Amino acid sequence: MIFEGTDQVRDAVRHVLGDVLGIPAERAAAFNDATPLFGTLPELDSMAVAGVLTEIEDRLGITIEDDEVDGDMMETFGSLVDFVARKALG
Amino acid sequence: MVIAPALFEEANRTRAFTVAIMRGLAARGVASALPDLPGTNDSLLPTERARLADWRAAFAASVGGRRAVGFALRGGALLDGEADLIARCHFSPVSGAALVRDLKRTRLLDAREGGEPLAPDTLLPPGSPVELAGNHLSRALLAELEAVEPATANRVARLDGDARPCDRSFPGRALWRATRR
Repeated sequence: MIFEGTDQVRDAVRHVLGDVLGIPAERAAAFNDATPLFGTLPELDSMAVAGVLTEIEDRLGITIEDDEVDGDMMETFGSLVDFVARKALG
Repeated sequence: MVIAPALFEEANRTRAFTVAIMRGLAARGVASALPDLPGTNDSLLPTERARLADWRAAFAASVGGRRAVGFALRGGALLDGEADLIARCHFSPVSGAALVRDLKRTRLLDAREGGEPLAPDTLLPPGSPVELAGNHLSRALLAELEAVEPATANRVARLDGDARPCDRSFPGRALWRATRR
């Protein structure tokens, strides 16, 4: 597996948010685990949520079930990284 | 160079990018073509009658006997397998299953915001076409896409930060994704 630890997963999720939402690198670099996402980040509407999740699946080789997608999972950058890390690192 | 465009809404979002590539090629003296696949753009076929095998055959026919390099963007990489090309170049190639998942997910999230809900089995053939992210698509096409992977390419390019294997990576935004700013 190319992802060996949470730090790599965090970097990958940061890249996806930056690429998919068009967030400048310096702004994405400043995201920490407490940074609020869904409902706060104006770029992240429901169309964009679909794009973020599918891009994460592609890049990390995981599958996210639709019933796992809820507001809690994308509440903060940290909660999204935790969710993805559980999937990607097993 | 014959270009296999991205599919569905991604085609609309990457149209200007694709044409910019063609203009850049023309400035370097390289001819290029961007065929309309059956059921897309100016094609006379209704979109709901589009099928994967027809797209692949149409792309191969548009290459014909020319000595051409193929350039495929995103889901276009699912279409060039039967074409007689000198070389295949893929930019951010994607599996058919991922494309279909994205279409379904967009519809599910839309339903949560008051759109028409989608029962999971309404996507399985046989049955009437389904509307997904603004396109009326045949269930057979969706089933065909779910089973197809990109052909092996001579060169694969991706965006920076994409950890999947590639020959070159470029900085930039994922133009095929929806953003509202």
